[in-house]
This record gives sequence, structure tokens and C-alpha cells, in this order.
Amino acid sequence: MAKTAVRASRIVAISVAVVSSLSLYAQRLEDGRRNYYAAVFLNRGHVSGGASSNIGLFKRMSSDTIWHNIYRPNLFTFGIGFWERGATRRYYIAGGNGLHRSTDEGRTWRVLTTWKTEEILSVALDPVDSSILYVATPFGVFKSTDDGSHWVRKMKGMKRWYVQRLVVDRTDRRKLYAAAEDDLYQTTDGGEHWRQLGVGVPGILSALQHPQQTAVLLVGTEDHGVRVTTDGGRTWSGGQNLPQTSFYALRSSSDGQALYAGGYRTGLWKSENLGRTWSLVSPAPNVEAIYSIFVHPDDPKHLLIGTCGQGVYESFDGGGSWKNIGLQGAHVKQIELYP
Amino acid sequence: MRNSAVILLTVLFLVPSVEARAQPSFEQRRQRLIEVVAGERDRSFFTVTAKLVTGKDKEFAIQMLDSLTTDQSIGGMFYSYAAIGSYLRLRDQLPDSLKAKMRNSFRERTMYRGDTENHWVMYYTGLYLAAQTWPNEGRSQWYNGKSSDENFREAEEWLNLWFKTSSTIGQGEFDSPTYFITFITPVLTLYEFASDPVMKRRAQMMADLLFADFAVEHLNGNYCGGHSRDYPEDIMNPLSAPAALWAWLYFGEPQFELWQETRYRPRHRGGWETVFGAMSSYRLPEIIYSIATDRSTPYVHTETKRVRNIIRFGLEKNPPVYKYTYMTRHYALGSLQGGILQPIQQHTWDVTFASDKPYNTIFTLHPFYSGKELAMFFPEEQKFLSDEVDRYHKIYTNPNKWNSSSPFEQTFQHKNTILVLYNIDKGITHPHIDGFFPKNLDERSIDPSGWIFCRMGATYVAFYSLRPYEWIEEEINWRWRSFELMNCIVVEVGSSDEEGPFEQFKRNLQARSPALTGGGRNPTIEYTTRSGDHMKFTFNGPRLLNGKPVNFAEYKFFNGPYLHSERKSGVVTMTYKNHVRELDFDKATIKEWQKLQ
Repeated sequence: MAKTAVRASRIVAISVAVVSSLSLYAQRLEDGRRNYYAAVFLNRGHVSGGASSNIGLFKRMSSDTIWHNIYRPNLFTFGIGFWERGATRRYYIAGGNGLHRSTDEGRTWRVLTTWKTEEILSVALDPVDSSILYVATPFGVFKSTDDGSHWVRKMKGMKRWYVQRLVVDRTDRRKLYAAAEDDLYQTTDGGEHWRQLGVGVPGILSALQHPQQTAVLLVGTEDHGVRVTTDGGRTWSGGQNLPQTSFYALRSSSDGQALYAGGYRTGLWKSENLGRTWSLVSPAPNVEAIYSIFVHPDDPKHLLIGTCGQGVYESFDGGGSWKNIGLQGAHVKQIELYP
Repeated sequence: MRNSAVILLTVLFLVPSVEARAQPSFEQRRQRLIEVVAGERDRSFFTVTAKLVTGKDKEFAIQMLDSLTTDQSIGGMFYSYAAIGSYLRLRDQLPDSLKAKMRNSFRERTMYRGDTENHWVMYYTGLYLAAQTWPNEGRSQWYNGKSSDENFREAEEWLNLWFKTSSTIGQGEFDSPTYFITFITPVLTLYEFASDPVMKRRAQMMADLLFADFAVEHLNGNYCGGHSRDYPEDIMNPLSAPAALWAWLYFGEPQFELWQETRYRPRHRGGWETVFGAMSSYRLPEIIYSIATDRSTPYVHTETKRVRNIIRFGLEKNPPVYKYTYMTRHYALGSLQGGILQPIQQHTWDVTFASDKPYNTIFTLHPFYSGKELAMFFPEEQKFLSDEVDRYHKIYTNPNKWNSSSPFEQTFQHKNTILVLYNIDKGITHPHIDGFFPKNLDERSIDPSGWIFCRMGATYVAFYSLRPYEWIEEEINWRWRSFELMNCIVVEVGSSDEEGPFEQFKRNLQARSPALTGGGRNPTIEYTTRSGDHMKFTFNGPRLLNGKPVNFAEYKFFNGPYLHSERKSGVVTMTYKNHVRELDFDKATIKEWQKLQ
């Protein structure tokens, strides 16, 4: 009985190893058709109006080691977005000059906004209708329903105008969350009306909806750690063990088993219970701040973090070891894997 | 006796205008500047343009222009307007290949728009003129994927909005001796090359407004009083600021060539933007010239401006800024009301002496810095903003800096007296107040009465600190420093015109001692000026003049003997003697007339 059990466990173990190898192989194949995109907002020493700097949208093929600026230098880039349906692909840059869109894999770009929206801090895309776009700006949320030709400011119900991030609900495309100066706001009618969710602390810097349990929301805050709700925003509590500092980045593995958070002198934190308690991923790169986190959709142990001025770090073992993979000096606001 | 009176009258009538008296004339000055800049070697659109306009070093200039069009390390708003300004001035003499490269710059280079008012003025001026120059071109022909028509309309719309805002509630980056150039140069470029007569007229009016705004606070080449933003070198040494070269060109003051001066030259060796003014067909209206240069009668001038766009930690996007300036022929005393009105480079108050000497100013500040202050205006993470700003401005977090806004500093000025209250929170990183006293003052003495008396030429300054302080000797100045978290400075300024001898001025003040009362969040200062006005001022509280509250809400957009405008009216009226010039920004009209005597 015992021998059988041992044999069975070996078979399982071998099977797991084979599956894992196959998975890795498949991932590499798949990654051959996908690229990492990094939004570089700033390079150390860069001055707005000064000499051009290597900032903008960077692309690194998974088989490559070099990041290439696929736009032109000199564009402050706060965030990126991607929309795909069938053969139609759209790439977006949320930047200082406005919201940029490319429909030809980044070869050419068009600025969709005008002076009215000023800087674009992030972009949120309707998952079904590509003509519906939302942007977060220092002066509020703007929406376009005609593919960026016209924009309308959507602020009804908001008490402050600074909005840093927008998140579209995974189950209802008319429901969005806005990380604003004073609170996390929610709209259920595509931005026509907003209501405060009462996080309890001001300065909402980032927001994340759990991929499976969509009533679970997390927000990273200015100086108050990460706060969590498991009931769609009715009640909030602080993530336990986390330092009460600023958290800029939140990310989930695709299965939602692991949640990650990082911020100002925090290191990288991980939660496996919907954000209730957190543990420090160790060792973590010695960086001043984590601006962005990426978890590979096919391999939850494959992590990337974008830092404030210290480039991008990569780990293939869930944070057991890290390697700097470039963009030294860059403030990396977002990292994604797109075709 | 009667004969001499007749002779005197005759002389008065025969004396030509102030402009004609100043040597050399505007035409001579502008020619001189073009010649000087044409002889420069630094790579810029300004020197290239001057060279090609004068025919000097033509081959070298063409090479330089070529390198400016191919160098991808430069770009953005500073590039945009200067490039199109050069192109439009020079296109008849440029080879086709170079013209094509310049066109290409607007196709292949990111003209970054930036994040400040001056950035946008330069950016949209460049875009407007480029789209006008290359009309009817499709989206693929422009760096931003918009067509000529789309770019033109967007630029036109924003420029018109900026004219309207600046003529009704004021600039956010107002009265800056450095950033003045980043407004006036694109505006004159727009005036010179806009095909649309309405846009051209509005640009002319905006140039008039910028110059008039400067003129009322101008003294002998110095841009006086409170500034939205400036660099420490220019604050300590006002004639080293770029605006001084524009004053030289248009106001004829100072009367020496700044580029020959070590105080100007090392800092601004490449800053030849003024040559675009020298080449422009814009002519300063005589009335603005007179306002800038006639200092025969002292006057009070007040203004309303606006705080730069607040993006967070505020309930109003552009709260008002209140400016007060007292101007005489020997000195100017000017101030902003205090608080955070601009990040990084605010200059809240000063006395400026009419002197050819360098370092002709006295002022105080609290060297405040905070990531939160910066985050009010910039959409970046406040934890890093101080460091990022330090990388460029170098001194933002420095305890010895000479420019700063502070929430712990407030002012109350009445004519040539100012009270500056400091009420610094405990735990602030730099808990001290600094004062700048140049070493080249003709006199500086500490009187047993507590007053510090200073003289530079005919100007007298009396400075009183209600709490202890110390002196720190530095290379060019004495640094007055007080570590008292709550303190008040009283400054009275006078001159030989008003006071007679310096000793008399001192005597008038020795018996006066200001009193600081209250504490906590509301210290109050009471002081009776040497002219008998009673000033009572509470931090975060009322300012009482002879018992009556000073109501900032009643401040006009401009109010003084030379410049008048109701806030939000869009009508600015200049008056000099019986001469009136009215700018109506809403109607885009300029009217001039003579008042009946």
C-alpha cells in the first residue's frame, strides 16, 4: 500500500514535471509571438523641455535582451493599453502629449486627444466596443464613444478632480473604478455617475480587481498601505503586515492565487488569501520603489517589476532570485505582455 | 527772472521725448543686437537666423541649421516655435534640401508639449505656424498623426484660450524675469508670421500686454517685486535675468549692453531669443515705453494673477494671486501675498534698487520644500518629486536656497512698508528664515534700536526683526538668518527724495518698535509706519490698515496710474498723461486716443 502510494506520487511528480516543461516550452513558443511592453515615464535627469531623453514606449521580445523604444524618444509615458478582437489590434499610450493610438503594431501613432485633456495618466478600454475609451487625467475622467474623435469630461459625483487610474470591471463593462485623490470611485453607467466607495483613506494610487472573485478589490494608497474589500466596496480593511507607506503597484496572477503589491521602499509583497495578509517576497531586488508589477499569465512564478529609476527586474522562480534586465534609470510605470 | 522762466519753458518743450533722449535709439539697439548675435558661434535657431539675415558666416549658419534639423537629441516645445520662426524668416534663402529637412522635423520628431504654461505657449505657437505653413497635409505627414487642419484648429483654439485667460485672470507663470522670454518670443513670432489678421492682432495685443505688465514693475532694466518663478542667480542679481535684455532693447534700460557684463553673460550665453524681437516688425507702443521709463512720480500698482494649475490637494484650479508694488525712481518694493502660489521658484517679495551695481536687492524667504507641494502641480509620485526636481533645479531641497514658496510665509504691504510674517510648523526640515543682504551695499549697520539700516545709492532700507537672528558671511552677501519658527520682519524703504539725508531716515525709525502679539497659529503684528499708517496683520487672518480690512477680493486685474483693468473684463487700459491705449481682447481691438486736458 505504502509502495503503491510512493509510486503513485512519483508518477504524479514526473507528470507534473513533464507538464511543467511542456508548459514552459509552450510558453516560450507563445512568447515568441508576444512582447513585453514597458511604459517609461521618466529617465533620471530628464527635464521636460530639455534634451530628448529615452523615454516612451519600450518593447522587448521575449527572446531578446534589449528594450527598443518603439515610439520616438521624448514622450512622457504614464501607461499603456491594448485592445484586440479578431485581426484588429490597437495599442495605446497614455502620455504627456495625450492618448496615442496605433493600429499598425506601433509603426504609426495618432494622438486622439487635444489640449482639453492635458496629460493622460492611464487609459481604460471597453472590452467589447473599441470606440469606447476612458482616460484618467489630473483634471478628471474623460470618455469618448467615437473612437477618440470627441471627448466628454465625466465627473458627476466626484469631489476631487485628480484621477490616477481607471479599471474596467471584469463582469460588467459599464462598471468602472477610478483611483482618485480622495477615494476610490465606482460608476455603473459608463461614467455618467460616480459614487465614493469609502476606502477610508485618501490618496488612491492604484486599484486591482481580483480576476475570479470580482467583489474583491484592492487599492494601493499614499502612505496608508494597501486596503482591501471583499464585498465590492461596502467594507474595507487594511492589508495586514504591510508597511503604512505608498503602494503604487498591484498585480494578480491570472488564477488569482497570488496577489502582489509594491511601492515606496516596500520591497515586493505577496498575498495568497485575497489580500488579507501579506508576506515579503525574499530576497527582493534592492530598489527604492516598485512602480509596476507583471505576472506572466501562463507561469505565475515568472515575475517582472518595474522600478523608479533602477530599470526592470525579472524572476523565474516566484521571486527567489532576480536579474536586472535593462531600462536602467527609467521610471517604469507599467509592464504588459502584448502581441 | 521772467526771461529765465521763458527759457526754461522753451527748453522743456524742445526736449525731445524720453525715447529720443536715450542713446542709442531703438532702431540702433535692434541693429546692434542683430549684429552681435550674428557674430556668436553657439548653435541655436536664434544665432543661425541672425547670421543669415545679416549674411554673416552664411555657410557655417547653413551647416548649423542642418545639424539642428538632424539632431534627434533636441526637440520639444523650445525647438518647435524657434524652428518654424527661423524657417519662416529664412525660407527664401534656404536650399530646398534644408527646407525639406525642416519640414521633416515636424513629421519625425516628437514635439513634446510639456507641462507648464510657457511650454504650451511655445508648443502651440510652433504647431500653429507649422500647420499654417504646410496646410492641407494628411495625418501621416505630422508627428502626432493629426492633419494640418486638425493641428491648426487645435493650436488656434488653445492660443485663443490662453489670450483670454491671460487678459482676464492673468498668467500662472506671471512676471518672471526668466520665463518672460518664453512668452514674449513665441508671441512675437506669432505676430510676425500669422497669416490670419485676427490672430496677428491678438498676438500684437498679447505682446502689448506682456510688455505693459513688465513696464509697470520695471525699474532701470530690473523686473521688480514678486515673481511667480525665477532662478536664484537672477533673484540675487536682477540684471542677470533674461528679461533685462528685453528691457534694454525695448525700454532702453539699463543703458549698458548686458552681454558685455559678466553678471549676464555666463548664465545666458546661448539665450539670444531677444534677437527674434530685434528682427520683428512689432514696435512697442510709445505709451508702454513711457510707462516703463517715467519714474518721476512714485506710485502704487496692484494686480491679480493666478496660481499655476493645481491638480490635487486643492479645491480651486487657479486661485488668485495678489500683487502689490510701490515704485519710485530710486527703488521698488513689491510683494505677493505669500503662501504656495507656485512650486519651486517663487519669489515672494523684494526691494530692488535702481543701481547699475550687481546684487541690487534685499529680500527674505523661508526655504521650504515638500513632495506634497510639488504634487499639487505635477502628476508624479510625491515621494520622488523632490529628488527629481533637485536633479534639474539643483537647490530645491537646499536649506540655503534663494527661491521658495512657503505655506509659512505671508506678507502685508502698504506703500513702501512691508510686514512679513513667518509661522513655521514644528518638524519642518528647514526651520529657519533667510534674508539676502548684498555685501556691496554702501552702508549696512545694526542700530541699538534693533533696526538694520542699509543704503545703496539714494535708497534707504530699514529692516527690523522681532525675534533673534544671526549673520552668516557669504561670498557676495550677508545671510541674515533667524531660527525662530515664529517671527516677523518689518521693512521700511525710502530714499533721498522722500527723506533727505540717510541720518534723517534713521532718526525717523529709531523710535518705532513693532510689536508681535498672540501665538500658536495666529501671531499678530502691529506697526505704525513712519508716514503714520497703522498696520495690523494676523497670520491667516485679516490685514488691517488704519483699522480697515484690506480686501483682496476688491483687487482689480490691474490697478494703478498707468494700467487699469477690471478682473475678467478682458479690457486693459493704459494711460500715460493724456494718452490712452485700450486693448479689448474679447473684440480683438486696439484703440488709442488723447484725453482732453
